[in-house]
Amino acid sequence: MYKYSDTDKKIITSRVKQFENQVKRRLEGKLTEEEFKPLRLMNGLYLQLHAYMLRVAIPYGELSSKQLRKIAFIADKYDRGYGHFTTRQNIQFNWPKLLDVPEILRELSSVEMHAIQTSGNCIRNISSDHLAGLTLNEIEDPRPWCEIIRKWSTFHPEFSFLPRKFKIAVIGCTEDRAAMLVHDIGLRIVERKNQVGFEVFVGGGQGRTPIIAKRIRAFLPKKDILNYLEAILTTYNQEGRRDNIYKARIKILVKELGIEKFKSLVEENFSKLSNKELEIDDKNIEEIFGFFRLPPLKSNTNQIPFKKNQEYQNWIKQNVIPHKIQGYSIVQISLKAPKKPPGDATSNQMIALAEISEKFSFSEIRVTHEQNLVLPHVSNKELFNLWNRLKIENLATSNLGLITDTICCPGMDYCALATARSIPISQKISKHFDNYLQQKEIGDLKIKISGCINACGHHHVGNIGILGLDRKGQEFYQITLGGSAKEDATIGEIVGPSFSENNLIEAIEKILNTYKKHKRNKSEDFLTVFRRIGIKEFKKDLYDNFTKKV
Amino acid sequence: MIILQKKYEYKNHYKQIKEQDFLKQNIRNGSILSISQWRKTKHIIQDQKIDVAVEFSSNDCSLSDHDEISKAAMIQINFETFKDGRPFTFAKMLRRKHNFKGELRAAGHILPDQFVFLIRCGFDSVEIKEEDKDIWLELLEIDEGLYYQP
Repeated sequence: MYKYSDTDKKIITSRVKQFENQVKRRLEGKLTEEEFKPLRLMNGLYLQLHAYMLRVAIPYGELSSKQLRKIAFIADKYDRGYGHFTTRQNIQFNWPKLLDVPEILRELSSVEMHAIQTSGNCIRNISSDHLAGLTLNEIEDPRPWCEIIRKWSTFHPEFSFLPRKFKIAVIGCTEDRAAMLVHDIGLRIVERKNQVGFEVFVGGGQGRTPIIAKRIRAFLPKKDILNYLEAILTTYNQEGRRDNIYKARIKILVKELGIEKFKSLVEENFSKLSNKELEIDDKNIEEIFGFFRLPPLKSNTNQIPFKKNQEYQNWIKQNVIPHKIQGYSIVQISLKAPKKPPGDATSNQMIALAEISEKFSFSEIRVTHEQNLVLPHVSNKELFNLWNRLKIENLATSNLGLITDTICCPGMDYCALATARSIPISQKISKHFDNYLQQKEIGDLKIKISGCINACGHHHVGNIGILGLDRKGQEFYQITLGGSAKEDATIGEIVGPSFSENNLIEAIEKILNTYKKHKRNKSEDFLTVFRRIGIKEFKKDLYDNFTKKV
Repeated sequence: MIILQKKYEYKNHYKQIKEQDFLKQNIRNGSILSISQWRKTKHIIQDQKIDVAVEFSSNDCSLSDHDEISKAAMIQINFETFKDGRPFTFAKMLRRKHNFKGELRAAGHILPDQFVFLIRCGFDSVEIKEEDKDIWLELLEIDEGLYYQP
């Protein structure tokens, strides 16, 4: 894991002081709320429906047990004993008091954490593949590159007041587990003629105008990555729209100019403004990679223990995947237990997990963009013991990738922007489909739920997407089908008129019936069937037989 | 209003020319011109070696190579709002693309929290209210020297 240098420590400490100063000036009336807002947002502090919300950065989703313990401590002391893991691998506290925030930031800095640029119109936390460094087909571990980009983007003097927020994701293999193609910039590490570099995508995003990112460079040598990012950001900062908040993201600029024109502006900035000092040399790369080496794992022939326990076997099948070092496994922990808000963990669970990670996974925990957690290096022979331990903490739900493993935004239960609740919808789904075998029969299926058009719950890229709307004070839910956030990224299509909360489960059942009817074999998943037969069949089955209560 | 150049305060000797007073003969050392005024008079200014400033609004930071902006003595950028980050990129362009070596000043709606960012993008000075001086200096001290970028 990355360890802070003296510079990192100084920067974080000074940032806490600066924020303390800003809070003081706000309370003294020297800063107006309008002026304070962008400053607090750059420290991850939002004003929500009922209270402030503090979003803490978990760079590329990687946590140590010590950090997780600190998060649990903060949740207990300054919040209500829980935290919410987000789709950008961060964690949110929903109830901090403004006056406590500088102290919370100080606590975080003691374990090399912060809330810098988790919000605001600046470059946000760099997100990545939660399996980075763990799989065989990876060209290179993306995390060191995330760290290089994290440093470059932190308090960037030029890019801290952009037209709108800016999100970057980096992945290291063909499989996309980071929704890279719906980011403002997506980077994929590729190999060409024995040279490793980046394939660069730009202008992806969700929100009210969902767009899949366009490729701007098929190959960019590694050393140029920061200069190329600067060239894109320079173009965006100059040309991006500032007249309308809904048209201010880079995706709109790329769409309005067209990718070719946009590319020509970027390439011109790249050739004219590139700065030798931003080039990354091999020594620098080697140094950063040193932080991300695997722990001392010895390849061995240990098998996963067999036990005559169906629940345990389901968990092995659903949540455990092989590690690139033989004899070890990657354990995925679902934060989608029945009746629980998706992505939430209590402080007790976090404390337990910290201890569990120390015992079973070299003190390392990862956060996934699908709001789950990962123990990256678990010895096969320990899996049964681990499962027993996780079960006690209600952390052994076997539903990874299944219908109840929903992505879900906080919705109207917390969020000031929401037009409908989303957590209760997710809970209804998990209650209705709570049987593992029933879920397994449906197979791989991603349901993603957003409580408003801003799409924090990624509904556009859900195989089934659910969007909560307000219609004359009543909540309605619009369904999209066929979306994907993976390497075959697709924006889902709206199936038709929306449903009331009471009819929603029935609608999902009908959609699943259409799928089952057309499924050619056991392994043909929902998305494949959808792509084969198209939305018409679903539409017909869904609305023709639907009682007119929609 | 005072001018701060990093830690040091100095007296402003630049002054805007009102549009109705804009006659070539009124341009003297210390005049602040708009870009269109500069375009109309830059040859006279250069011939007579007059020390003038050119001002831009954060809303309109456009410039072409024909403007020969590097020949102005000072450039002032007026921020309509501190949230508009275009002048930060414009400052970089002035320094790196247009080879502007004179004084670059930020004015208008700017926050002390932006002081180090401004300096690092190529600004030399800021125009601020006198009573705000202490807070600008305090934040400069907290932030100075702490950054990752070259």
